[in-house]
Amino acid sequence: MRAATAGERARWNPFAALAAALDVRAGEWMRRRQGLDELPVTLARRRLYILPTRGGVAFAALLFLMLLAGLNYANSLALFLTFLLAGFALVVMQQCHRNLLGTEVQAAIAPAVFARSTGALQLTLGNSSATARIRLEAALPHLPLVSADLPPRAQQRLELPLPAPARGVVRIERVRLSTAHPFGLFRAWTWVHTPVSMLVYPHPHGALPMPVDNARAAGARSHAGAGADEWVGLRPFRDGDSPRQVDWKAYAREAPLLVKEYVQGASELRMFEFAQLARLDLEARLSQLARWVVDAEVHGERYGLILPGARLAADRGPEHRHRCLAALALFGLEGGLS
Amino acid sequence: MRPGTAVSAPAAAPLRPLLWTCAAFGGGVLLHADRVPPWAAGIALLLIVWRLLSAHRGGGSPAIAARALLALALVSIVLARFHTLNGLAAGTTLLLLMAGLKLLETRAARDQVVMVAAGLFLLLAACLDRQELARAPLYGLQAWLCCAALAVIATPTTSARAALSLAGRALLLALPLALLLFVFFPRLPGAFWAIPRNDLAMSGLSDTMTPGSIGQLATSYEPAFRVQFLGPLPPARERYWRGPVLHEFDGQGWRSSPRDLRAHVPREYLGTAYHYRVQLEASRQRWWFALDTPVQAPEARARLTYDEQIIGDEPLNDPVSFETVSYTHTRASQPLDIIVQHQDTALPPSGNPRSRALAQSLRARAGSDEALVEAVLVYLRTGGFVYSLEPERLGPDAIDDFLFRTRVGFCGHYASAFVVLMRAAGVPARVVTGYLGGEWIPYGGYLLVRQSEAHAWAEVWLEGRGWTRVDPTAVVAPARLERGILDLLPQQLPVRERLLHASPWLTQLLQRWDAANAWWTNHVVRFDYDAQLGVLERLGIRSPDARYLGSAFMLALCAWLGVVAWHIGRSLHPQRPDALARAYGRLCRKLGRITPRAPHQGPLDFGAALSACRPDVEASVLPLLERYAELRYGPPLAETRAQDIQVFRQAVARLKLPRATGRD
Repeated sequence: MRAATAGERARWNPFAALAAALDVRAGEWMRRRQGLDELPVTLARRRLYILPTRGGVAFAALLFLMLLAGLNYANSLALFLTFLLAGFALVVMQQCHRNLLGTEVQAAIAPAVFARSTGALQLTLGNSSATARIRLEAALPHLPLVSADLPPRAQQRLELPLPAPARGVVRIERVRLSTAHPFGLFRAWTWVHTPVSMLVYPHPHGALPMPVDNARAAGARSHAGAGADEWVGLRPFRDGDSPRQVDWKAYAREAPLLVKEYVQGASELRMFEFAQLARLDLEARLSQLARWVVDAEVHGERYGLILPGARLAADRGPEHRHRCLAALALFGLEGGLS
Repeated sequence: MRPGTAVSAPAAAPLRPLLWTCAAFGGGVLLHADRVPPWAAGIALLLIVWRLLSAHRGGGSPAIAARALLALALVSIVLARFHTLNGLAAGTTLLLLMAGLKLLETRAARDQVVMVAAGLFLLLAACLDRQELARAPLYGLQAWLCCAALAVIATPTTSARAALSLAGRALLLALPLALLLFVFFPRLPGAFWAIPRNDLAMSGLSDTMTPGSIGQLATSYEPAFRVQFLGPLPPARERYWRGPVLHEFDGQGWRSSPRDLRAHVPREYLGTAYHYRVQLEASRQRWWFALDTPVQAPEARARLTYDEQIIGDEPLNDPVSFETVSYTHTRASQPLDIIVQHQDTALPPSGNPRSRALAQSLRARAGSDEALVEAVLVYLRTGGFVYSLEPERLGPDAIDDFLFRTRVGFCGHYASAFVVLMRAAGVPARVVTGYLGGEWIPYGGYLLVRQSEAHAWAEVWLEGRGWTRVDPTAVVAPARLERGILDLLPQQLPVRERLLHASPWLTQLLQRWDAANAWWTNHVVRFDYDAQLGVLERLGIRSPDARYLGSAFMLALCAWLGVVAWHIGRSLHPQRPDALARAYGRLCRKLGRITPRAPHQGPLDFGAALSACRPDVEASVLPLLERYAELRYGPPLAETRAQDIQVFRQAVARLKLPRATGRD
């Protein structure tokens, strides 16, 4: 997808520099004019801009030629055709504007991803009107468009690909929403200024064996039986629980949904230490730590992280994994994310 | 699954936009199919088929060198055929071919938009070429097709139905503006740039006549012109419409004189003056047909020649209307100009010996020119001559062949033979071509003259009377004067014309259709600056000028924009909620004075929140909220539902909340 875009952009354009400069200035002006957006935002008339597309400009030139020919020959049919098509273009402009007007931008989030992959800005658009909105396009600056149709009174989530080349934070200041529907003669657009940060975990990489920590970390339960999971009790079902852990027999007896809770044998308790990897450079160390965190989580082990100036107690679960990876992502960077 | 669809240029362009592109361009080609050379239209259609086939097979376009070579070849063919590229026919042909070549390399949406533009441009060329009423719907269809193609190119997933409905809706909304602009957009008084448009031939009379050429027109049902009389109508046998006057005979056919003699012979006009308005069709020729004999040229754009033709300054590329006065009888008061006399008694030095001999013998017997004319007419009447649309081919001595062998001919044969006999006898004579007759169209109150009424007659110079019309066809087929050619020779006409005249109902329909055409030509095709001012006058503006037009134009534009914006924006508003929702909304507003309902609260949660705030209203409010939940979410009760909602609505209306007794 990105290759195609690059190819399109490679088309020779003598005014590219001018257009880019204009784009930047226009962007700044719009930012000042519109201010920061608090989601959800309904796209109001005041913030929608509309201009003819390249095809629209060509269409206008054609109309001008037609008008000249019609006037020159005092040819009624040619003039009528010109006026009809001019009216058509004006109607199209209104339809294009309408297609975007009143769209709701309900949410914009960017879940964390690993470095050297492509993440996504998840943009939720809503349509409260009785007509469908066709082919709404969303794009991040300098990135390809993503388009979607919004049925009447519906929501639609768009995923805008967002490359994550290196660990840290990718910050998005604004998203461009546009549409050229229905005839591609005009494009209405707006910028939604909503800061979104995408956390980029270090690229999990490294082949060093996972350290085994024999010193029992604080808060970890000690059990003699190695390997076997131990049944702890029942608790109410929460979103994200595996169906395999649900106590279906109890549910069949009209009890509420209950989940059987186990605690794994605590023999696999590992503490990953930054200091242990002194032979590698910084990024390689972080990559190795990330690798271990990911593997340990996959194997259902309990693990902790010891970084210079930070210590994450041993635990497991998605939240813990995220905390560990976030700490690695932001390690040594200014303005870390809490 | 990703909810949004990523959009980028796909490797293989979907077929649908290409199909529509081809349709839009093909429509443009078909509009010109009968006007450009058949090979050009054929090549353009072939290129379309080629492109579609190659897209179907997933192949690419031919190499750039091949395309360049093809383009060069086609341009040279057009140049060789037309000797110019500056002309409507040549230009259109070139556009057809070049756009067809462009189609071969059409890949991206941008190229497809260019092709649709070519389709629209062909439509424009068709408008410039022909503006007949019957073609207007075709033009409308082509515009619709092009707009729908734009929709499909912009959104390739659009179905045909959706594209047509989108385009149709937009065009319908644009129609009022188009009408307003058409009426109020100020027109220019004259042309500022000219493309020759007379390279497209039309059927009609020309400045040459071979004996059979008029017969070819007889089967053409096309209108030539329409006449509205502002006073009395001339009798049917006087309805000679004067066209090209032919002076030069080469042994076979006739040509107009290259000489432009300014010598107008003064005449006296006798009898009734006929005042009338002629509406000429676009003939690409310069003759303005007028009732024989016009007194003067109608306006500055045309002049009256010495042989009483009205000749326009420009070929008639568009319909023209003019007013003039004619008399059907005239008398010359001066002798014939010597140059004219010489010209109109000239014959080729040899040929047609038997005709010359006949003329000499008749001359010897006749006492005067009048008697000679009479003798020749008697000869034609009694010689066993037959009036027919299908005469035999004539030999090199055409007049001899006709007079003494075949004796079967159409009006051209008789006029030609008569004039040759006269000239052989030394009497100045000339052939006049034009039309005879006309069909009275009661629906428009005008006389319709069709191409089939084309006619040729003769004029001889008689001392003391001047140029006198003699119609030799009239002595052979006297009925031709009163009735049209269609009644006279029905068996020789094409089946279509005969069928059309078989039933009075069809005839009536045809007449109505012609009246519609006349209206179209008068009020739409010829709608110009003066007509615009006329509209303003009818709107009550005393002395209208261009400024009023401008204001009316702006006013119309703004009004239309407002209406369209309202119409399009209307669909944005959510639908009016149903009665139950309205009643619930009212209830919530009432209860909102106690505590507003949070968006996430359902009716029962809201009730619980309310009773926590104000336990005193619990008894009156809770049943209502529960009733709403039941009506909205409970099992549907089809029969009583409407009633139940009505009862609920009234209960909500009756609800009165007592003031709070104290603070909680």
